[in-house]
Amino acid sequence: MSEVHVIGQILGASGFPESSLFCKWKVQMGSAWRVLQGDHEGQTQVDEPSDEPMANWCHPIDLHFATKGLQGWPKFHLQVWHQDVYGRNELYSYGFCHVPISPGLHEIDCVTWRPKGSLIEELKTQFIGGSAQLKNPDLVSSSAELYKLRTVSMGKVHLRLHVIVRNFDKYGVEF
Amino acid sequence: MNTKPTSFLVFVNGAIENAEVNDFDDLYLRFSYVIGKDWKICSGLEEGTTQIAHKSVQLGSKIVFNFPLEATFRATNPFGWPQLVISGYGLDAFGNDVVRGYGTTYIPISPGRHRIRIPLFVPRSSSRFQQFLAWFFGRRPEFVDPKVIAFNAGREMTRVQSHGYVQVVFNVVTKDLEELGYKIETKHSSQTSQQRSERNETTYVDNYHA
Repeated sequence: MSEVHVIGQILGASGFPESSLFCKWKVQMGSAWRVLQGDHEGQTQVDEPSDEPMANWCHPIDLHFATKGLQGWPKFHLQVWHQDVYGRNELYSYGFCHVPISPGLHEIDCVTWRPKGSLIEELKTQFIGGSAQLKNPDLVSSSAELYKLRTVSMGKVHLRLHVIVRNFDKYGVEF
Repeated sequence: MNTKPTSFLVFVNGAIENAEVNDFDDLYLRFSYVIGKDWKICSGLEEGTTQIAHKSVQLGSKIVFNFPLEATFRATNPFGWPQLVISGYGLDAFGNDVVRGYGTTYIPISPGRHRIRIPLFVPRSSSRFQQFLAWFFGRRPEFVDPKVIAFNAGREMTRVQSHGYVQVVFNVVTKDLEELGYKIETKHSSQTSQQRSERNETTYVDNYHA
């Protein structure tokens, strides 16, 4: 059994229309993979930066996987949410990014998008808040079904991850 | 006869260099390491406090600490890699000791020299009125245990405001990680880890102007 460690932080996000953001994250992986140690999902703090446009979360990620194969390499599903002054939460965007395959330090910018509604729905989003949401959030990383969607670009989520691998060379995998 | 090692060592030294903040002129930091249960600190201070440092009269000056950090860790598992947790305090206008910010970062894993900018954040009061009371009485919201920011659980309840950064330099060396079968760098990397972390630090700074 080979092992992969992912150690790092979800640093923050930038490029969103409003500040006061938080992120819900989840790790998705294939059937050959198992999480041995670490939480596979979580939610960051809500940050409202006082002087810069970038929301800082510094949320620790420490995951230990065991695997029997390369297929289904883990990926992060991210949802960026906005909390307004009244404490209401609305979804801002979806994004996904694969855990990097090569061992070492990686600075990752995960781009995100949100589903675009009809004209009436967009006006509602503008004035009342609360955008359209996906019925099945796992759609974010499924290549077969995304053709049905119309989306609008949103900002980026910044991650800094270090990947450590173990026992892959016994199976002939070269990094 | 070579006996195979059962644990690896991570040796870290470096310094808390300076803090970049706009709202106040003086600061002192308390730092501590948060490690997993498979880890142990062999030598070095597990926690400490820096001096109380002030800005100089120059415009745009940073608060310089130049505070030494040295520690050696022994572990059997990379899970629970050490994190440096920093909490900053200072005096407010009424002379009360108030919390100025918390920050955390992982000790870098790749051997070499790394400079990391840790953002500082402070818990927000629940309402404007609470905020005024906190300012007036000098009892600002703070974490009961600063180490909570190094964990995943329970973070969703915290509402914070971030301002300022603390710059820390780390020099890292590992022993016996490769002997135990762990690969922490790819052999095809075209840059040294120091070049990459310095390039990455610039990229990180530029990202929030995008």
